[in-house]
Order: sequence, then C-alpha cells, then structure tokens
Amino acid sequence: MSAPLPPSGPLNRAWRIVGTGLSFTLFGVVGLLAGLTVFPLLGLSSRDPDVSRRRCQWLVSRWFGLFAGFMRLVGVMSVEIHGAEKLRRPGVMIIANHPSLIDVVLLIAHVPEVDCIVKRAVFENPFMRWPATFARYICHNTPEQLIADCTTALRRGHSLMIFPESTRTVPGQPIRMMHGAARIALEARATVLPVTITCEPLTLSKGLPWYRVPARRAHYTLTVGDPYPVPVFDAGHASAAARRLTHQWEQYFAARTGTAAAHPAPPLADGAGHPQYSR
Amino acid sequence: MPTLDQTYAHIRGLLIELFEVEPEKIRPEARLAQDLEIDSIDAIDLVLKLKDYTGRKIKPEEFKHVQTVGDVANAVQAIVSAAA
Repeated sequence: MSAPLPPSGPLNRAWRIVGTGLSFTLFGVVGLLAGLTVFPLLGLSSRDPDVSRRRCQWLVSRWFGLFAGFMRLVGVMSVEIHGAEKLRRPGVMIIANHPSLIDVVLLIAHVPEVDCIVKRAVFENPFMRWPATFARYICHNTPEQLIADCTTALRRGHSLMIFPESTRTVPGQPIRMMHGAARIALEARATVLPVTITCEPLTLSKGLPWYRVPARRAHYTLTVGDPYPVPVFDAGHASAAARRLTHQWEQYFAARTGTAAAHPAPPLADGAGHPQYSR
Repeated sequence: MPTLDQTYAHIRGLLIELFEVEPEKIRPEARLAQDLEIDSIDAIDLVLKLKDYTGRKIKPEEFKHVQTVGDVANAVQAIVSAAA
C-alpha cells in the first residue's frame, strides 16, 4: 500500500460536513416524497405483483445511483467498482462486508433487481417505509422467519443481498459473521457472489456520528468476486455446514480488507465449490 | 433415569456432533452464544435433537433462561426427572 495521503484543509472538511448533512437530508426527503408518489404508482402499475416488485426495485437502484452521484458531485466521497457486470446476473446471493453506513446504497446502485433484508425499524421509518414496502424488501422479524423468506426468494429466482455481519464492522475488530446467511445459502443451494467493500479513510462506521467526517474525502472501493455454488451438505448437519461456510466467508473478507477473521477456517476440499482465495 | 453427569455428557456429545464445537471449549460455565457461537437457529436444532433424549418435545419457554452448557444440562435433567 502507498503512503497515506495528507489530510485536506479545514475548509474542505467543513464543506464535507455540510455536504454529508445535505446528502442525508436529501435522502430522507426524496425517500418520503417518492414513497408517497412514484413508488405507489409503480408498485400498483401491474396486475402481476412480481412485475411491480421488480419495477420498484429498479427504481430504488436508479435513485441510489443518482444519490451516489450527488455525493460524489458534492465531494463527500468518491467510489470505484470492479466487476459490476457480474452483479447483473439474476438469482444470485450477494454477500458483502459492511464497513460503512452507505455501503448498501452504493451496492444496490449497481444491482437493478435485488431483494434486500431490512430491519423492522425501516418499515416504521416514514422516510424509508414506502419504498421498502413497494420494493418488497424482506423484513427481519425472527431468525426462523427470515431464513424461510430468504430461501423462498432465492428459490423463486430472485437475487438476494445479505450482509452476513448483520451490522457494521466494528473498526479494529475481527470480521464476525452470523450463521444465518450461510444457512440460507445452503438451504437454497444458492450461487454466492461476494463483494468486498473498503472505505479509505473509514467514515460512517459503527459508533461514529455522521458529522465526524474523516481527515480526507472517503474513497469507497467495491470489488465483486466470482460467483460460485455453495457446497451440498448432509441434511443432518446444517448447523455445522453453515458454521464452516460462515468462517470461510470471514476469512475471505478478512484477507481482502486487511483485518482479522473471528474464526480460523480450513479451506474446503476440492470440488466442493468455494470462494477463490487467490482472487 | 440418567444422572446429571450422563445428561451433561450427552449434551456435550450433541454440541460436538451438531455444531462441531471444539471439545475443550465445552465446560459447564461455557456460554452458548458468546463462547460457543450457538445462535438461536442452532438452539432450535439442539432442542429438536434433545427430544429424542427427553422423550418429549421441549417447549421454548423451558429454555428461556438457559445461558450456559450447565444450564442446558440442568434444564434437560429437570425434564427427564419430571417424566420419571
């Protein structure tokens, strides 16, 4: 890695604080207005609820792309992505690490149709509930219900986006992922597509208030890995298989983000389908 | 009727078999979630398997206060004793 770049001046920093606040406000306002107008229109535009769902998801993707563009224009952040075309493949289970608050926005901007998991709080938040509702995002109520709903979505051929850590990475701590995502992948015999997200310098991380902008404009890098099918497992050993797969994912993301993984993991035996460590 | 020790041993075996927990990590005071990485879905699998041992289906409420391996053993032993 090259030497760290120097911090930007105080004026630029102040500007980025204003820009960040402006962006969040814009996000909320557009979410609210669109949720009351365009989303219901699109959401009820077809007799086929699946067609409406896809249209609304496409709209979310387009809007997030514009929003990311706005943030770049205003100089709050910059972003590069590698392998974006792989995200357009239908019916994949996209997994990503989660260093920063807006990861999901930057990623969805490149996936025109994808089911996402959202906390119940999102469905109760006036700025986000209607887009989330019309896009038919999957609500996280109980773990069993979530796994069932996600498995169903994948089996129907939807793409699904999951952040297996289920919360933002704690800076300085090893990457620790929950087993639920792996359970879903195994149950649905999914094709997994890993996306590594880095944010340099780190901003909007867990525990950091939004106005604590970093010393320099944050730069996001999204690197899409190669899709691969999950290994087939013995029916009686779902827990153990999910655990193993989760630990492998931790290793995969840890290796690519320069952090540690919470658990050691032996590589899978050949022929079982596995994240390519070399890429 | 099995003793508490036998129940504990059985549970220990299940933890290794179902979740591939490292045997040396299993102690009575080991916490299921924090120490052994057993989440709520895993707990459901465990409770289902314990049905074979206790002879009846276990209700989630019976495990509400279970935190450690020792707690599991005690809860299961209580069920087994009650049935005897």
